Amino acid sequence: MDLITNLSIGFNAAFTLQNLIYCFVGCLLGTLIGVLPGIGPVATIAMLLPATYALPPVAALIMLAGIYYGSQYGGSTTAILVNLPGESSSVVTVIDGHQMAKQGRAGPALAAAGLGSFFAGCFGTLILAAFAPPLTELAFKFGPAEYFSLMILGLIGAVVLASGSLLKAISMIVLGLLIGLVGTDVNSGVARFSFDIPELTDGIGFIVIAMGVFGYGEIIANLSRPEEERQVFTAKVEGLWPTRDDFKHMLPAVLRGTALGSSLGILPGGGALLSAFAAYTLEKKMKLKPGEIAFGKGNIRGVAGPEAANNAGAQTSFIPLLTLGIPPNPVMALMVGAMTIHNIQPGPQVMTSNPELFWGLIASMWIGNAMLIVLNLPLIGIWIKLLSIPYRWLFPAIVLFCAIGVYSTNNNVFDIWMVAIFGVVGYTFIKLGCEPAPLLLGLILGPMMEENLRRALLLSRGDWSVFVTRPISLGLLVAAVLLLVIVLLPSVKSKREEAFVED
Amino acid sequence: MKRNHFLQGMALALCAVAAPAAFAQTYPSKPIRLVVPFPAAGATDLFARTLSQKMGEKLGTTIVIDNKPGAGGAIGSDLAAKAPADGYTLLLATTSTHSIGPAINPRLPYDTVRDFTPIAHVGDAPSIMLVPNTSPAKTVREWIDFAKKNPGKLNYASSGNGTIVQLTAELFKSQAGVFVTHIPYKGTALAIPDLISGKVDVLFDSLPTGMPHVRDGRLRALGVTSLKRSALAPDLPAIADTLPGFESNTWFGLYGPKGLPPELVARVNTAANQALADPDVRDKLSRLGIEPTTSTPSQLATMVAQDAAKWKKIITDRKITGD
Repeated sequence: MDLITNLSIGFNAAFTLQNLIYCFVGCLLGTLIGVLPGIGPVATIAMLLPATYALPPVAALIMLAGIYYGSQYGGSTTAILVNLPGESSSVVTVIDGHQMAKQGRAGPALAAAGLGSFFAGCFGTLILAAFAPPLTELAFKFGPAEYFSLMILGLIGAVVLASGSLLKAISMIVLGLLIGLVGTDVNSGVARFSFDIPELTDGIGFIVIAMGVFGYGEIIANLSRPEEERQVFTAKVEGLWPTRDDFKHMLPAVLRGTALGSSLGILPGGGALLSAFAAYTLEKKMKLKPGEIAFGKGNIRGVAGPEAANNAGAQTSFIPLLTLGIPPNPVMALMVGAMTIHNIQPGPQVMTSNPELFWGLIASMWIGNAMLIVLNLPLIGIWIKLLSIPYRWLFPAIVLFCAIGVYSTNNNVFDIWMVAIFGVVGYTFIKLGCEPAPLLLGLILGPMMEENLRRALLLSRGDWSVFVTRPISLGLLVAAVLLLVIVLLPSVKSKREEAFVED
Repeated sequence: MKRNHFLQGMALALCAVAAPAAFAQTYPSKPIRLVVPFPAAGATDLFARTLSQKMGEKLGTTIVIDNKPGAGGAIGSDLAAKAPADGYTLLLATTSTHSIGPAINPRLPYDTVRDFTPIAHVGDAPSIMLVPNTSPAKTVREWIDFAKKNPGKLNYASSGNGTIVQLTAELFKSQAGVFVTHIPYKGTALAIPDLISGKVDVLFDSLPTGMPHVRDGRLRALGVTSLKRSALAPDLPAIADTLPGFESNTWFGLYGPKGLPPELVARVNTAANQALADPDVRDKLSRLGIEPTTSTPSQLATMVAQDAAKWKKIITDRKITGD
């Protein structure tokens, strides 16, 4: 009954006029920045942080949280209609979502994303409310060895996830790992590949590369095509509701995505992005039903699964923050800052010392998800209008927003130049037919993997057996080997190549 | 009216060119930019935001926070060092930019003494010595004995090579005469789960990050790194009670570019000291784990010179290199 008492405290706090308004403002802003490519929740929350100083803490956190999960909804709209990830966690939604739009099925794709997100958002919130305290115990079981093995599994998953040539996929991951090496080595303090440029000693930011490769690269590619070939599918959005068949395919994918996202969101380094990648890999591993469209060609599962996962992940990534005070991703790191501004120390004591804040925030997520489904499905027309602006007007705006967004993260012009350089790099990838998604994963996982490997070995005083003597680590490594064997099996390999014949 | 103001402004501008003393009287006539060389919402940024509001009131202008993070604070410090010495660009420097930075990175684009004008030492943040609640040690002395009984077996966590967290631990090791292995993390927040589960044995962390876990019973605090007991954690003994002279604070100091007129330095110094006497500011700072300090510009210079010398010695003795 504790849960009910707690939730009633929460709903009491969240159902005040003021908090409902801030929840709505957050969701609206989140959808907006999600729809607009380039500006992500990190930049927006960072920019709004000083403005929340004047608000009461509950209202401020409700609004900032709304921006985060709202952007998960909005990001998918742009991914499906413009073939640009509006938000980094919708990178994989682009693959099948945009194919669906090309086939005139943008409506069902948007509905799948919206409904999947809604279900996952509600479920993630429930998980957060019910299991926050016991789930944090799980985090303590994970030491450096476990993290390293988990990332091995993640990287092998990334290879499997990549479409097209296996060689290209591996090259992109390795390239991502190499870019991830730039910056100061945590163990020795030595700056690697920084060429005495102080800005490079912090490494090349994830946002910089994501915006450059996905944003600017795509824009250059779009501009290089003749006018009529450009791909903004806004006119074709009609018949929003998915067919009965769509629902049959969607439902299990949403359930799997939700489960995966809820569990990955809890892990440090996890959250929306990793969840979306993992869910797409999982969906692709599931056998295609007869008559189902192949992945990469507009399979609705490829939209529903990752979209559900990124929302569930966004929601459950609040667990380590609210219960341990440990931010699992950059957005949560900013939430720590927001709480500190209001003199609330994030950590295990929040639940007891500020129950109205803790449960109010959770309850507001439920309300927020309901607001978002209204904002994103019946009102989808408004967001489409935003995207139906002619490309010659839209692209300078995107370039500008990307530049503002990337500048605001560090207040440094250097980052804008970096985005420009990576824009050219991204264009080259498109020309070479290399998919950039695995590069991002390599970029994120590479440095974490190196760090955890070295840390695990420091703790074991150089004994490599630590990876197989710890049960969780061993289990993850076995799973990685199994995955590798499956990919390399001759029968799967040939089928895989069949499925990814270039179009 | 408008025209009158314009003429007044012109006249003042002319005066400013003619006589620097008159310039100091009109200062500040526009918003002041306070460069914070660390990201928004970090401890230094929150300190800057708390201080700047009251300080701006005392100076009769607005102080705008400009976050210029990167390269351990070197990017923002460089920017402030090369700004015009007109008092409209100030820097909130810390231990990592002005005490440790020069010793760990010989290629800094500025000289921390030559290129800056010290204004005021505005605050000190002590750290606390944290151990898992499963640790057999209840006091600093017991922990040293525990480490001596297990040579080479214990680990300490840090937020990376050459950070104050690591140097504090190295200072502790050298004074206590123990050997403990260094396990670096990207920030102490990431090290805390491993400390709670006992994978590492000790961590020197700031009060706001560490205390919630102590109150929750997951971690135990053995002592505070300030020379004397701190008002921020009155229950904790100073580590210096066991290891005489042991001290490690993260200090915060206001600086301007080199060649700032002395009248102007005095005005900013007075405003900072007045702001730090405000009960509301003091209360907010104590929640950030920071003790406000009042000082003259020369006191800041002396304190930093001593602090820098102390860390340089540790860095050289313990062979900690950034490159």
